[in-house]
Amino acid sequence: MSSTILVVDDSLMVRQMLREALAADGHTVVEAENGRDATHLLRRLQPELIITDINMPEMDGLSLIRWVRDNSHLDSTPILVLSTESGKGVIQRGREAGATGWIVKPFNTDQLRETARCALGLREKVLRRAGRAGE
Amino acid sequence: MSSSEALSRAYAGLRNGCTKVVTLYVGGVHASEEPILIKTLVGSCIAVCVYDPVAQVGGMNHFMLPDADERGTPAEATRFGVHAMDCLIAAVMKAGGDRRRLLAKVFGGAHVLDMPEHEGGVPQQNVAFIRRFLEAEKLPLSANDLGGSSPREVHLFTATGRAFVRRVTNDRVVERLAHRERRTKHRSPRYGEVLLFNQE
Repeated sequence: MSSTILVVDDSLMVRQMLREALAADGHTVVEAENGRDATHLLRRLQPELIITDINMPEMDGLSLIRWVRDNSHLDSTPILVLSTESGKGVIQRGREAGATGWIVKPFNTDQLRETARCALGLREKVLRRAGRAGE
Repeated sequence: MSSSEALSRAYAGLRNGCTKVVTLYVGGVHASEEPILIKTLVGSCIAVCVYDPVAQVGGMNHFMLPDADERGTPAEATRFGVHAMDCLIAAVMKAGGDRRRLLAKVFGGAHVLDMPEHEGGVPQQNVAFIRRFLEAEKLPLSANDLGGSSPREVHLFTATGRAFVRRVTNDRVVERLAHRERRTKHRSPRYGEVLLFNQE
């Protein structure tokens, strides 16, 4: 099923890799360069999935996750972190902030597509259970 | 004083205060907020130095090919350009650098020994990749020494961003380096971990 996915990363080349990988599964990819730009987009966009980096200028990934979780219209949106950060502490902070999953860079595009499919599946399950399937 | 003596003195002066030395090999990425010396030896590979002149932090990587070859024994994915650059920029930012102020210095891409010189060759691919990457990421190139036929020993002082490059002409060193680069070329990348927190 085709979904809209918001990709947040300060690297154009990484965003291009993500766009190509996710577009191969028929998804529509919207891009933001940092957390602040993502929050501007999210005021009028309700993506089915957000994939975000952690270390970015302007607004980092953890702040973005907290912002998303404070917005009720995005409460069912899964968030995958894609970061070079691999320390237990930062991963735990991401989980507590409301991240759905964590992919440590360098990443494999096939593995990323599979993880995105799992996260989208989880979202469907949650919506069905809440009687909001098809949102 | 001869010019080589003057150079040695200048080098010693810059090294003053740098007590720690980190040596990078293929796939290596290192950045530091402390004043350290990072060094590496590249042939057809590329070493990229990234530095924030305001925060005075910097780092270096050493990559072998622009893109991953999925065959062979797994080894560090940072042997490949995009991953190596992504990890280097992240490491420099983590050390206190601001992405908007970063400057890059690029070295390597030589045709060592019997490496054929043609457009699709490894050195040309590496040089084309790094130029494309820096342009796409709007990372200013402040110095470069690319191509030719000699390997380069690259030293980066992270506190000042000064880089020293020495062409290596010792035949045995050149041969050893070319052999090492050939041997590690065809290995598939080893990627990072994937965690899903909620799988209900």
